[in-house]
Amino acid sequence: MSKDVLLRVKDLKMHYPIRGGVLFRQVATNFAVDGISFEINRGETLGIVGESGCGKSTVAKAILRLYEPTSGEVEFDGRDIINMPKGDLREIRKEMQIIFQDPMESLNSRHTVGTILEEPYVIHGIGSRADRRKWVVDLLDKVGLQSDAVDRFPHEFSGGQRQRIGIARAIALNPKLLICDEPVSALDVSIQSQILNLLVDLQRELDLTLLFIAHDLAVVKHVSDRIAVMYLGKIVEMNEAEKLYSHPVHPYTRALLSSIPVPDPEKKKVHDVLTGEVPSPINPPAGCHFHARCPYAEEKCSKDRPELKPVKDNPNWLVSCHLMDNFIN
Amino acid sequence: MALIQFSPLTLKTFKRFRSVKRGYWSAIIIISLILLSLVAEVFVNSRALMVSYEGEWYFPTYGAIIPGDVFGLDYQYETNYRDLKQKFNDEDSDNWVLLPPVPYNAFETDLTVGNYPPNAPSFETQHYLGTDTVGRDIVARLVYGFRIAIFFSLFLLICNYVVGTAIGCLMGYWGGAFDLLFQRLIEIWSNIPFLYVIMIIASIIVPNFWSLVIVMLMFSWMSMTWYMRTATYKEKEREYVMASRALGAGTARIIFHHIIPNTVSIIITFIPFSVAGGITALTSLDFLGFGLPPPTPSWGELLRQGIDNLQSPWIVSSIVMSMVLVLTMVTFIGEAIREAYDPKKHTIYE
Repeated sequence: MSKDVLLRVKDLKMHYPIRGGVLFRQVATNFAVDGISFEINRGETLGIVGESGCGKSTVAKAILRLYEPTSGEVEFDGRDIINMPKGDLREIRKEMQIIFQDPMESLNSRHTVGTILEEPYVIHGIGSRADRRKWVVDLLDKVGLQSDAVDRFPHEFSGGQRQRIGIARAIALNPKLLICDEPVSALDVSIQSQILNLLVDLQRELDLTLLFIAHDLAVVKHVSDRIAVMYLGKIVEMNEAEKLYSHPVHPYTRALLSSIPVPDPEKKKVHDVLTGEVPSPINPPAGCHFHARCPYAEEKCSKDRPELKPVKDNPNWLVSCHLMDNFIN
Repeated sequence: MALIQFSPLTLKTFKRFRSVKRGYWSAIIIISLILLSLVAEVFVNSRALMVSYEGEWYFPTYGAIIPGDVFGLDYQYETNYRDLKQKFNDEDSDNWVLLPPVPYNAFETDLTVGNYPPNAPSFETQHYLGTDTVGRDIVARLVYGFRIAIFFSLFLLICNYVVGTAIGCLMGYWGGAFDLLFQRLIEIWSNIPFLYVIMIIASIIVPNFWSLVIVMLMFSWMSMTWYMRTATYKEKEREYVMASRALGAGTARIIFHHIIPNTVSIIITFIPFSVAGGITALTSLDFLGFGLPPPTPSWGELLRQGIDNLQSPWIVSSIVMSMVLVLTMVTFIGEAIREAYDPKKHTIYE
């Protein structure tokens, strides 16, 4: 596999200060994203899974600099995003786009679909009025909507159709990278697969690289080449999609995978049921973030923080666990 | 695509506004009054609408003054059309004068020998609401006073909202140090006693319409900032704003295309109350004598006269009735707009 890295994220941290008291001094820190590193190759799809509140969406927004990350490096197409001046950032935003979770929230309810889809071109001053109208119709066609949608308003569409509009807006400027922040979580199961197939088709057609964020493991498996599992602001395991499902190593990954319902009433499954709650990112536990809920935790798990290390010298297979040797195979 | 396309949300809001009958009719009446007051010279004026003299037609309402000798009178100053009409009637000639329904302007004193104003209302003299203490027609004072008061409060409102919305949106959108700085500035500024400042300014310069608007603006732009700041804080975290930022939109575009259209209900809801507030403010300043200088027709000055001359009840009753009617109608409009934008009714789509 040739290494043609489009997006490189290194030690990305997003910490929110929490202020309190009379003088609004910083009393604590929310470690929402605490040192995330990964690479995405051109044309590839990287899935990120994790529970609610583990920092998945924050990663997405920090990469786009919709949030200003606390520290870390983001390199897109060889260019440093984090220290980029505002003007260049505007230009590079043509090349990286995002699809949001809630298609009602992500479309301005006071604009027609035509206005919404025209906005990318207007912002970057591309094309004449007539050009733009033509492109909007093309976009609608690409995502499988009728051209009469142009003069209608978002609330006149169903959830799936609205998400198609959101996708159309994201691909309007022919981006290289498309970040999908839980694009199907708000949709009915029957609609989910349509949207996923649309994304896969568009990826092939437009040569897109996807960063696909979801909490639904089945959805992520369907679209991703590689998958990263996040827990409390950190990646705990990363592997090629098939292998992650067939050979989960980290106890958290194993618990997650065993919780996927299997549509077979005969099959009895042993669940690795997790006890307890996800600890707060405001005061994350010392040592391994997962040790409090881990059924295998030993003493050192509560003291030393494990590093993300390659398994069997395979650079695509990374696990962050002190005891990982016990779990391989 | 139509050139102007109202969002169905806007149309629905308008429909709900219409369903509140008293607010809807108040709006129609107030808007008509404002529009009619723009051409008040046609209805309440000492100049004639039309004069036919020696086969020629004159329209003196707008334009330069027509001296009396044009109509065969023996003076060079502006024609007194009421006398001219009387003269033509006495001569029984083909010449005629068409006077407005109220043939007085707001400045002239209608004095005759042995007659001491204020005069009670009379159809005979065409002072339908009587005259004030110096013999000026009260209808004329009311109409032109209304025109000044309503436009004063509309201009003040526009200035207030432009400044308040701009600063409020930026406070909410930029947040951080800018927000903190302006919050404290506004708190301090709000504590300056407005009336003292007006008194000091009025004692140094004679206020006119625009200087009064500016002085009032300096002390009333703050209230809108709080509402817009909060609304912007809420809107800017919503995903459609994120999406627009991800596309590369700048601050101005996000504020004008996304945040303001989605918070316009706040602005519109406050308009009628600001109009009422503006009228009241100007009236009270005039009442205290710190407003527009005499002889500008003003409701506050009329109110002052009315209270000083309770033995002439037509003065106080006409000004109080006018104020009550206008302010009540404006409040009805405000109530109907509030009802139309009621968030509880926002989520239902027919």
